[in-house]
Amino acid sequence: MQIQPILSALRRHKAGTILIALQIALTLAIVCNALFIVHERIDRINRTTGMDETNVVAIQNRYVGSPENFVPLMKSDVQTLRSLPGVEDAYVTNAFPLRQGGWSTGAQTDPDSKKEGVHTALYFGDEHTLKTLGVRLIAGRNFSPSEVVTVQPQQSPGAPQVIITKVLADKIFPDGNALGKVIYLAKGKPSTIIGIVEKLTVPWIEWDTMDNVTIMPVLFNSGYQHFLIRTKPGQQDAVFKDAPKALYAANRMRVLPEKYGVRTFEMVRARAYQADRGMAILMSVVCGVLLAITAAGIVGLSSFWVGQRRKQIGVRRALGARRSDILSYFMTENFLIALVGVIVGVILAVGLSQWMFTHFEMKRLSLTYVGIGVVALLALGQAAVFAPALRASRVSPVEATRSV
Amino acid sequence: MLKMTHLAKVYRTEVVETYALRDFNIDVKEGEFVAVTGPSGSGKTTFLTIAGLLETFTGGQYHLDGVEVSQLDDNARSRIRNEKIGFIFQAFNLIPDLNVFDNVEVPLRYRGMKAAERKQRIMDALERVGLASRAKHYPAELSGGQQQRVAIARALAGSPRLLLADEPTGNLDTQMARGVMELLEEIHREGATIVMVTHDPELAARAQRNVHVIDGQVVDLSEEPRFHAQPNVAHS
Repeated sequence: MQIQPILSALRRHKAGTILIALQIALTLAIVCNALFIVHERIDRINRTTGMDETNVVAIQNRYVGSPENFVPLMKSDVQTLRSLPGVEDAYVTNAFPLRQGGWSTGAQTDPDSKKEGVHTALYFGDEHTLKTLGVRLIAGRNFSPSEVVTVQPQQSPGAPQVIITKVLADKIFPDGNALGKVIYLAKGKPSTIIGIVEKLTVPWIEWDTMDNVTIMPVLFNSGYQHFLIRTKPGQQDAVFKDAPKALYAANRMRVLPEKYGVRTFEMVRARAYQADRGMAILMSVVCGVLLAITAAGIVGLSSFWVGQRRKQIGVRRALGARRSDILSYFMTENFLIALVGVIVGVILAVGLSQWMFTHFEMKRLSLTYVGIGVVALLALGQAAVFAPALRASRVSPVEATRSV
Repeated sequence: MLKMTHLAKVYRTEVVETYALRDFNIDVKEGEFVAVTGPSGSGKTTFLTIAGLLETFTGGQYHLDGVEVSQLDDNARSRIRNEKIGFIFQAFNLIPDLNVFDNVEVPLRYRGMKAAERKQRIMDALERVGLASRAKHYPAELSGGQQQRVAIARALAGSPRLLLADEPTGNLDTQMARGVMELLEEIHREGATIVMVTHDPELAARAQRNVHVIDGQVVDLSEEPRFHAQPNVAHS
């Protein structure tokens, strides 16, 4: 309704108008991309592992000395852990989800194939693994104690029976009949798929194929391993304290590293996604600071303009403007500036995203974020200008008769 | 048209009360051209701001075009200023960011008038003051006399019932002042009611009636018209 005269007036205040529009444009471009990154990181942080992560304690263990065979020590330690009052189950393994270190190999259906096979992470375990992890078996059966084999460090790991994830099963056997089929994880070592679990993720957070996992009934004869413990509900804290003590009491010839030796699964998850969380917080702070600076800029310029145009506001009031007309004048003026800002900002945001896509292999900015950014910046502008506009609307019409 | 009875305007601070107007009485009939004179600080500008509903008053009564205005809310006062009153200020008070056309349009926009009607009224008003050819000029590009003519066009465009002029020639040289005064006289002859505040006796003498204000009171209300211009018709 007052757009044309407002545009005319703005043409005579080019510097301030362009500066604020540019500030809004840059803020939009950066905030859209930053929020997109924040959302991506939060999505990563919230990815599930397929495990029931509550009431799980992970212990990193290294035996010292040079025993001939570590297997009896491992078996004894696992028995010690299972006998603790707060423990539901426990097993020994080479790796687990979010550990950020583990083994992987290629799964083949043809033993003579020269192809790489389907990439899969390898977890060693036994008949206690599924229960301890809390993963759901959706087809087939669990391992039996007699199926657990010992693998020496110089051997390629392999076992006659394996349990694999549904995703991996579907990749190796797209027709869906993976159960009972044979795959080759090491040359010349056939493994029959005896079970399929619903979901279990690899130890790393950066993998392309997060759900490709194979569990083998293997005791790996090494001095370095992890014990995973499922505690009874409400017993996690007690087990967290008691398990290391029990292990040391059973055999002092070991090292449980001080920093990451004993961890609850919440700690494992927090450590795995520390960088993502840090990036999300940093980007959020950057967004907050930018939005605050932009809002302050709008408040500052609007307040300056209101002060500068006090007499003019008085004249408008004297000529019949209601308070609401003055309020809407300043709100509309800001909206028009912000509109120009967000139009330029959209172009900058998409350009910045394209540049990051080209140079840093980042995902392209979703247009939803651009839309949210546009609405947010327009709303921010209106919120920021409201107080100065309200002050303007309270200027008395008698101001028109006062000399400058 | 404009009737104030026992009107008072008091400015209060914690320690002192200052009467800007005290027992102020005035009755301006429709079609009159009244000059309100008085020394600086006498209260004549306060009278004008209250008459124009720019300020509220403390006591007494004020009827404008038959309406008692003391109980009106801010929106109603704005509407009356917009529809019934035309202001002419000493400092012209044009909006420097708007050109002549847009300046004259300001009160019409607040009336919610359609664009075509606004344009017609603006051009008529500018023709009336002889500045139609300057519609796209900005105030800074005009002389003082021309700016005041634009201000008069802005006041006239809304066809007000009452024109209030505050020292309309105060910022103009003699020649320009004469031109503006002649324009006001012409507007009055066409039927407009004009109340003009001035401290210039020569200018006041050209009005139909003089009201003299000293210390916030009307001290000499001459009933005899000094200028026998006969209004043609009541301005609507």
